This record gives sequence, C-alpha cells and structure tokens, in this order.
Amino acid sequence: MPEESPQLLPGTLYMLVLRTLAAGPLHGYAIARRIKQCSANVLDVEEGSLYPALNRMLLKGWLKAEWGTSDTNRKARFYRLTRDGQKQLAVEAGEFERLITAIQLVMKTA
Amino acid sequence: MQFFKELWRRLRWLASRSQFESELADELQFHIESRAEELEQSGVPRADAIARARREFGSRLKAAEDTSGAWRVHWLEDLFSDLRYAARALRRNPGFALTAIFCLALGIGANTTIFNITTSFLFSEPSCRDSASLISIREGGNSDSPIADYKVLRDAHIFEGMAGINIEREVNWRDGDQTRRFYAGLVTDDFFTTLGIPFRLGRGIAPGETNTAVLSYRVWRSVFAEDPAIVGRKLILEGQAYVVAGVLPPNHRSIAGFGLSPEVYLPASHDEDRVQFYARMPKGMNIAIARERMRSVFAEIDRIRPEDGWKRADQVRVTGVTGFDVLNQMMPGAVTAFFVMLLIVVGLVLLIACTNVASLLLARASSRSHELAIRLSLGASRRRIVRHLLAESLLISVLGTIAGLAINLACADLIRNLTLPVPAPLQLVVLPDWRLLWYSFAIVLVSALLCGLLPALRAVKRDVSQALKQEEHQIGRKWDVRGVLVAGQLAVSIVLLAVGFLFVHNLLRATAMNPGFDVQHTIWAYVRLVPDKYGDPGQARQISVISRALEQIRALPGVEAAAITRGVPLNSNCVIGTTLRTDISQTPVHTEYQCNNVGPDYFRTLAIPLLRGREFSANDGRNSQPVAIVNETFARDRFGGTNPVGHTIANDFANEKPKLIVGVVKDSKYFTLSEKQRLAVYEPYFAFDEPINLHFVIHASGPPAAYVKPITNLLGRLDLSAAVETRPMSAALGLALLPSQAGAVMLGSMGVLGLVLAAIGLYGILLYSVSRRIREIGLRVALGATPSDVLRVIFRQSLILVGSGVAAGLVLALFAMQPLALFLVPGLSTLDSRAFLGVVGVLVTVALLATVGPATRALRVDPMVALRYE
Repeated sequence: MPEESPQLLPGTLYMLVLRTLAAGPLHGYAIARRIKQCSANVLDVEEGSLYPALNRMLLKGWLKAEWGTSDTNRKARFYRLTRDGQKQLAVEAGEFERLITAIQLVMKTA
Repeated sequence: MQFFKELWRRLRWLASRSQFESELADELQFHIESRAEELEQSGVPRADAIARARREFGSRLKAAEDTSGAWRVHWLEDLFSDLRYAARALRRNPGFALTAIFCLALGIGANTTIFNITTSFLFSEPSCRDSASLISIREGGNSDSPIADYKVLRDAHIFEGMAGINIEREVNWRDGDQTRRFYAGLVTDDFFTTLGIPFRLGRGIAPGETNTAVLSYRVWRSVFAEDPAIVGRKLILEGQAYVVAGVLPPNHRSIAGFGLSPEVYLPASHDEDRVQFYARMPKGMNIAIARERMRSVFAEIDRIRPEDGWKRADQVRVTGVTGFDVLNQMMPGAVTAFFVMLLIVVGLVLLIACTNVASLLLARASSRSHELAIRLSLGASRRRIVRHLLAESLLISVLGTIAGLAINLACADLIRNLTLPVPAPLQLVVLPDWRLLWYSFAIVLVSALLCGLLPALRAVKRDVSQALKQEEHQIGRKWDVRGVLVAGQLAVSIVLLAVGFLFVHNLLRATAMNPGFDVQHTIWAYVRLVPDKYGDPGQARQISVISRALEQIRALPGVEAAAITRGVPLNSNCVIGTTLRTDISQTPVHTEYQCNNVGPDYFRTLAIPLLRGREFSANDGRNSQPVAIVNETFARDRFGGTNPVGHTIANDFANEKPKLIVGVVKDSKYFTLSEKQRLAVYEPYFAFDEPINLHFVIHASGPPAAYVKPITNLLGRLDLSAAVETRPMSAALGLALLPSQAGAVMLGSMGVLGLVLAAIGLYGILLYSVSRRIREIGLRVALGATPSDVLRVIFRQSLILVGSGVAAGLVLALFAMQPLALFLVPGLSTLDSRAFLGVVGVLVTVALLATVGPATRALRVDPMVALRYE
C-alpha cells in the first residue's frame, strides 16, 4: 500500500479537473485516473467529492456533459471544457502559480 | 447575469430531474465497474475486484445525494411543493377558490386598466427608435416655429438629425364626388427618417419628397378597408395629388404624446408653415449642451431678422420626449390630479378585494386549525407553516391577476375602439407593455401579502393543545378580526360609492347646465375650404361663398336664422390676455377675455339676448371703424354702471384704432359648461384674416336632425373641393361634457365595483358565521326560539357590521372628498347630504340583500341534526 495520499489543497480540485480536460473530453473515472497518474500516484481524488464537483462546474457553465462510448465500448458520460471553462482554467492556473511562487519564496528565504 | 444563467440551468435540471438521477446512477455504476475491470486486469479475481471497487467508492447514495445537492434550489423546490399543496387545497374547495379569484380578478382588472390608461395617456412612450436621445425644442418659448428657422437650425448640424411636425392641421380629401376632412400632421421631409418610426406597410415620407403621404392605421382600416394595395395609391388632398408611401402600425404612438395622433401625414411645403421642433442628440450630448449650442444659432437668427420683434434666444426650452418631461411641460395639473385620484380609487377597490380574500382565508384557517395544529405538533416549524399558507394566497393572487389581466385586455380593446367626441385627433393606444407587466407583478406580491399575511400569522399564533382538544365552538365575541375587516371594507366602499355618486351628480348637473345659448334648435355646419384656392387678396371668393351659403340656407323652409362664426361655443377656445384701455379710464388694465369673430345675426341665431345696442351689420369689419360687442360681465367689469355702448376699448401697446362698442349681450358659456363666468369680446367676422374653416350656425323651427342632409348637400354644391360636416348642436357638446362623462363613468363604475365586492365580503362572513353557529342555533330552536328569533340574531349581527362600517365610512368620506371639489362644476358641493343619504340607502339595501342568503340558511337549521353535529 502506498502511504496515505495527502489532502488536496482546498479549491484546487476544480483547477486539476479543468487542466485534465484541457487535453480533450474524458469521463469521470478517467479524470480521477488521469489526475492520479499525472501526480505519480500522489493525488487521489475521492469519488465522493469528484461527482459533486463536476456537477457544480456544469452549473457554473465551465463544463459540458455528453454521453459517449468508452474505450471498453460502454456507455459513459464525457465532460468537455467550455470556453468559460478555458478562461477559468487560465485564471486559476495564474493565481495558483503566483501563490506557489510566493510560498516557495518564503520557504527558501525566510 | 451569471446568477440568471445558473438559475436557468438549475431550472432545466429541475425539469429533467428524474432523468438526471437515473443517469447519475448509471454514471456511478460505470465508475465502479471501470475500477473493477482495472483491478481484474492487475490479477485480482472478479468477485474481489467488484467488492473492492465498491468499498473504495464509499457510499453511492451519499455521492448521488451530494451531486444532486450541487443543483438544488431549496427555496424554489419548497415553493413548488407549497404551491402544489395549495393547488390541491384549492381544488378541494372550488367555491372558496372561485370566489377569491373572482374578487381579485375584479379588483386587479380595474386596477390594471386604470393604470394602463394613465400610463398611456400621461406617459406615452413615442413609437420612435431610441426615444431617450430625442429632445423637443422651443425657441423663444413658442411651441411652433417657422420652417425657415428650422432649416437654419438643421443646417447648423448640431444634431444627428431633426424632425418637425405640426399636428394641428386639417386637409380635405376628394373621394369621387365627395370630400372628407382628415386631421393632418404637416411634417418636415426628414421627420420619419430622423425619428425612426416603424411602419405597418410601406415607408415614411423620404427626404426631398413633396407629394407623398402617410396614413394612420385607423384611417387605413376605417376609410380604406385595410386595402393591401394602398401603398402607391394616389389621393387628392387639398386639390393636389399625393402618393401613399406607407401606413403606420396600429400601436403607433405619436411623438406629441397624450394620444394625439394625426390621421394623415403630409410633407410641409411652405416656408411660413410652423412646426414643432424635435432633434436627435448625438452620443455624448446632453440637454444642457444642446441648449447652449442652439442659443448661439438662435441669437444669430435674431441678429439677421430683428424685424420679427421677438427674441428666439431669450427662452430656449429643451425637454425630453418621454415621461415626466412631457407631462410637466404640457399637461394641466387638474388632469394629472384626476388620474392620481383614479389610481387611488382603484387602489381602494383592490384593497376591498384583498380584504375579501383575507377574510375568506381567515375563515378557512380557523376551520383548518385542527389540521394546522397537528402539523405544528408533528414538528413543522411556524415559519414553514406561514410560508405554506402564504403560498396559498400567492397562488390565489397569481390566478386572480391572470383573470384580472384578461379583463384588462378586454377593456383595453374597448378603449382602443372608442372614438372620443373631441375636435382633435385623439386616439389612446392602450396596449399591455412592460410597465403593465411589472405593475401586475407588484400587484401579485402586494395582494398575496395583503390577503395572506394576517390569516397566516393568526393561524400559527393559536395554542396548539387548545386547538387539538376541540374546535372553536364558542361564538362570544362579535368583534373578531373578520368583523373588523368587513366593517372596514364597508367603510371604504361607502367612500367609493360617495365619490361615484358625486361624479354622477356632477354629470347630471353639467348636462342640465344652461350654456346661455339655444342648443335644441341649432344646427352647426362646418365647411373646410382648401386654402390654396382662396389665396386672392380681399377675400373676395370667401365673401362670395359665405354670402351665397347663408342666402341659400336662409331660403330653406323652416330655417329662421343663420350666421357665420369663427369659433363655435363649447368647441373652440380663444382667450386673449392683453393690457386693455377704455375711454372712461386713464389706467390700462390687464384683461383676459374670450374672443370670437361673428357675422350678422349671430346672437339672434343662437338666441343669446342682446341687452343693449345692435348686432353686427354686413359692413362691420370692412369699413374703417373697428367695432366690438361685449358680454355683460365685460361691461360690468370694465365699465361699472356706465352703458358701454358708444364707448371704446383699445389694446394699450398696439397702435391700432380703438374699437367702438356697439352692443352688449347676455353672458353664455364659451369653452366648458363648468367654467366660471368669463369676460368676452366679439368682433366682426371679416376683421380676421384667412377664413378657411367656415362655421355656420343655423336656427330652425323643426327638429335639427331633419336639416342635416339638406344643408350638407346645399353647402357641398357651393365648392366641390370643400369638406362639409353638419350636425345638430346638441350632438356637438361632447367636448364640453367629456370630463364630466369620463368622471361619472369611471368613478361610478368603481363605486359599483366596490359595492359588489363589499357585498360579497359581507355575504361570505355572515354565511360562515352561520355555519359556525349551527349548534348554537340548533340549541336555541330546541329551547323554543321562533324563526323570527333566529332571524333577529342573524340580522343583528349584519346590522352591527353595516352600522359601524357606514359610520366609519361617512366620517372618512367627509374628509377624503374635500379635495374633489377641484373636478366639479361650480356650485356642486362635496358635502351633499342627500347624496350621502342615497349612498347609505344603497349600501344598507345591498347589505340586507346579502344577509338574506345566510338568514335562510340559519332558518333551515334542524335542531335534531344540529345537536348531533360532529
């Protein structure tokens, strides 16, 4: 068993999902898997919070959902980034970048 | 914006909720299966893989719940469930629901209709593109100014565009061998393009065009039978050919506002024509800048044309063309006050209607107290129950408003097709618009609160354990809230009735008022000549037409006298305010007087008694000695006890010759029947220029209607291009009576409406109280009460309610009606004891009628049944 995965920083789940979908539409399971893979198995998105988050993003108009067929040839719901979602990703990524830089600065110099 | 987008998505979610939930279940299932397959591929046996995937996922139910939670709109869903519940409750009790909705529909129908009329009359939004950037301009404070000035201002290019219109024109339309008169608007050729007026058919008059015309929808419908090929058709107007360019839509509102809307639009052709100026400001300009920039242009015109004798730049008035701007500038205060009063009155009607619904709801709430108590003791919060009861009144008021708006649409339709008896192209376009929508929305909320708040708050105040133990049986107090509501309702309806009575009385008084001249035997014939045919100097052609007309009219059998006049009393208003000097006093005095120009025999024709001196003769006005005839009031006011005949009056500033007074006539009414007695000066007919609109008054021994046809034919033969309209004088008093009629119709019907609603309220509460007292009545009958005893109980309750309502209403009416004196004919007091007696009589009669139903219900109570009741 890997060590207990760290808690996601609050508010970063949206950004991670948006970034994951920037490459193209994915279904819910694939989103969770992709985040896990890309973070070298460090970040584990809880299913209990993934779907509410996806729906809140649908409500805000950042995502669109469509039914499609998965790699395993089954019916699955795919999420796609909208124009608003792309804008939101840019905003959140920029803010996150500044935050991290600032934190790192403090950690290195203080 | 974001809020509404989200709300919209939430609503769409709400609409497809069950589909969403099954899809979500599929999606979560897919997730778990995908994970299981992955585990299987890494070597885990299938059964274990599925179990592990499920475990990892956690509670599917919770995930689904949380996911729906993202979409949920709690207040809205609660509202929907409350409304569903309320709808069920209303369906179970259709009598109650229909009564409540009917009451509200009457109140709201009246309210929105008056609101609609008020806004379309006082705040009509002209049918123009972007009317906020349009301004109305008055140079030197004048409403109309010469086209020459218009051109100078236009060519100064201060504005994006300019438009000029004169709505006070008439034209003759030659149709085969008949001639008909239209109210015309004379417009500059850039009028339609600058204002951006939408069309039903075709287009507006284009710049550079001099022979195109535009028709109003009303003329197109009533005169041309909605001919679809009207565009391009040739019309002979004022003896010239015009081509119809377009037809305005039915909801066209003219830029002049107040329902004024010409029937035909023609391009202005003469430089001396006068028009009202409008302009479209470019972006970034405001009224102050516009005024400053125009002032310099007008100062320049003043410098070039000093001979005009007035300063354009002195008073440059600039206002907007919508809303209060127009109102402040144009409307007499009394008219605005009248509409304000109307709105207050319909507000009262709505109040009565809401009170009805409130007392119905109160009655229901107390019969439902058992149910509510159970809900409370099962843990429903009081707020939840108040909200639930308010939802019921909200539903009632929404339904009532919908029904009320249907009434409103029907009334608006009636009004649109109404032709007002006024000598002006007045046409109210009463159409539902966004203002009405917001107003109705506000009414829904207000009436829901008015109807529901009190019953709802009272329903939850009651002690739960008390209510659970027993229903209320005891009827001790007569003054519960419902009683107060009904008494208050009756009080308000007394006020409404009294106001209605007052205005009906006012109409009767106005109709019976003696105008000071003979109406019964008089005929009025109006001949409108085409101006271009009568341009010759010396008015020789007019004189010849007039004298031939009079000669032939007088020759008709039964005609006793006929005369020509410039203005017909009660149909035109000419007031001159000037500094006047008489030859018996040295000091000139500012005098305001009615003026008219009349021909020989005028006073004899109208049977206005000549007190001293003589009438005008045929030569008066054409020879060198100016003469005048004054009325009694003028003689008294200016000459005191002296006989004015033989004396002179003169304008103080103008260097014109003094006018010799040759006669004094008795006072009569000049513009309205209710006017205070005014000073009047008559001058000979030919003392004024350009008689184009010829008015003949004719006195006949027989019934006037019989002369209409022969006189029309006779006058029509004199000049084929002239438009002739003949009618009995009695039919022409419409304008004078219009205010009284409008007041009587509107306020009278409000009074009746208030009475009906109050009667329904009284009936409802009495019936309810009888049904609550069935046990008591049964007991009384069992103990030996006779039917008359039972009746006494019911009628006493009714009379106590009616008595207190009437008393309160009378006191209220005494104070509330004081300001109405403004709208009444002189001599009619708001404190008319006979009218009050009548009002009380009507109300008590209706109240007693409303008691009959409940009383018979009480009489039918069978003691055996009643005592076993429940």
